[in-house]
Amino acid sequence: MTEQTPDNGEPTLSGESYTLTSEPLLIDGRRVLGVVPGKPATGDTKDLVEEDAVMVWPHLLIRHGVAALAIMLVVLLLSVFFDAPLREIANPNLTPNPEKAPWYFAALQELLAHFHPLIAGVLVPTAILFGLVALPYLDRNPYLKPKHRKVAVTAFTTFLGIWIILTLVGFAFRGPSWGWVWPWIEWYGEL
Amino acid sequence: MGVKDRVRHSMIGRSFFRAPDRKTTRDVAAGHWANFFLHIYPVKMRREQIRFRYSWYLGAISTVLYGSLILSGIYLMFFYVPSPANAYGDIVALETEVAFGQYIRNVHRWSAHLMVLAVSFHMARVFYRGAYKSPREFNWVIGVVLLVLTLLLSFTGYLLPWDQLAYWAVVVGTAMAAWVPLIGDQVSTILLGGPTVGAATLLRFYVLHVAVLPALLVLVLSVHLWRWRKDSMLDVERSEP
Repeated sequence: MTEQTPDNGEPTLSGESYTLTSEPLLIDGRRVLGVVPGKPATGDTKDLVEEDAVMVWPHLLIRHGVAALAIMLVVLLLSVFFDAPLREIANPNLTPNPEKAPWYFAALQELLAHFHPLIAGVLVPTAILFGLVALPYLDRNPYLKPKHRKVAVTAFTTFLGIWIILTLVGFAFRGPSWGWVWPWIEWYGEL
Repeated sequence: MGVKDRVRHSMIGRSFFRAPDRKTTRDVAAGHWANFFLHIYPVKMRREQIRFRYSWYLGAISTVLYGSLILSGIYLMFFYVPSPANAYGDIVALETEVAFGQYIRNVHRWSAHLMVLAVSFHMARVFYRGAYKSPREFNWVIGVVLLVLTLLLSFTGYLLPWDQLAYWAVVVGTAMAAWVPLIGDQVSTILLGGPTVGAATLLRFYVLHVAVLPALLVLVLSVHLWRWRKDSMLDVERSEP
């Protein structure tokens, strides 16, 4: 709701004291035909918190601009100093050892070494996807701070930790015939 | 009246800027509202939400990397033919003969890896911030779709150099499709365009990589950002004890 008239005996928009009267309700010298307390029946019914709001331009856009420049600098430096890999031409008759999937599938490939392909290659990725999609519908706890959402944070962190470890193992710690190697001795990671 | 204001208030300036004044906050907001590029953003946000520690700007960084991938990818497309007879030679030529070819290829490669990382970190940051909670549940789901699209874009692009690294990574990656129950063989055939990774696979992955998936990602990203903007001023923290 908007502004209130100063306390001059006229009815105001706020509070319970508003009573029906035959006198016209005036707000800022304008006549109001009717006042219905509460939220509008249609349109935006969200609760907005206006306090401490800042304009996106320039406050956020400047920050996004700096972030953009920073990440482009990282890309530029990587591209100047490291060339993208290129091996010999593809040969379907010559299987390299080890065969490595891209690094973001290394965790799945590591799982493939331990489980049946139906589990590691189909069920696990499907379960992860469905789990991620379902997360906001399963976790109905309204609190935001990690200390108030121990179950969700523990579960997600456990999953993330396992996934990162599997990715690292599949990416850097596996060599010929998917045997264990120490990356600081032999390097088989591929980007 | 300065030169800038004169230009803004001229006939052409008015048609261009729509809201020529930038004096009051209301003027600035009107100008923001009338700008096609800024309409992606909300006009106002809470001070806390625009700080680095809130989001680490990972969504913006992912989007910037996507822009870098589009630009470098368009350049690469001028010099690349997706057939087993040409692909590898085209990459070699890119690296040795084309102006800035090696550099642009590097930019494309590292931007792609960084984008997978940035999107993953973005998801983790949103989780720990609790920013997926009501009423933003569905935008999280859209985000998961964007993660999958990013992985698919990266994976389809991985095959295109047609070297041993690309070929066998895709052989390993697509081998899992055959294990899908009941329809595994059909899924595998549709994906590869034949029984093994070959010319048809290269063409399929190329079309997916340069047309289908990028367009899909832009569409889904638009919905993602639109919902982000609509929900940007929501007070999600009011229930904190």
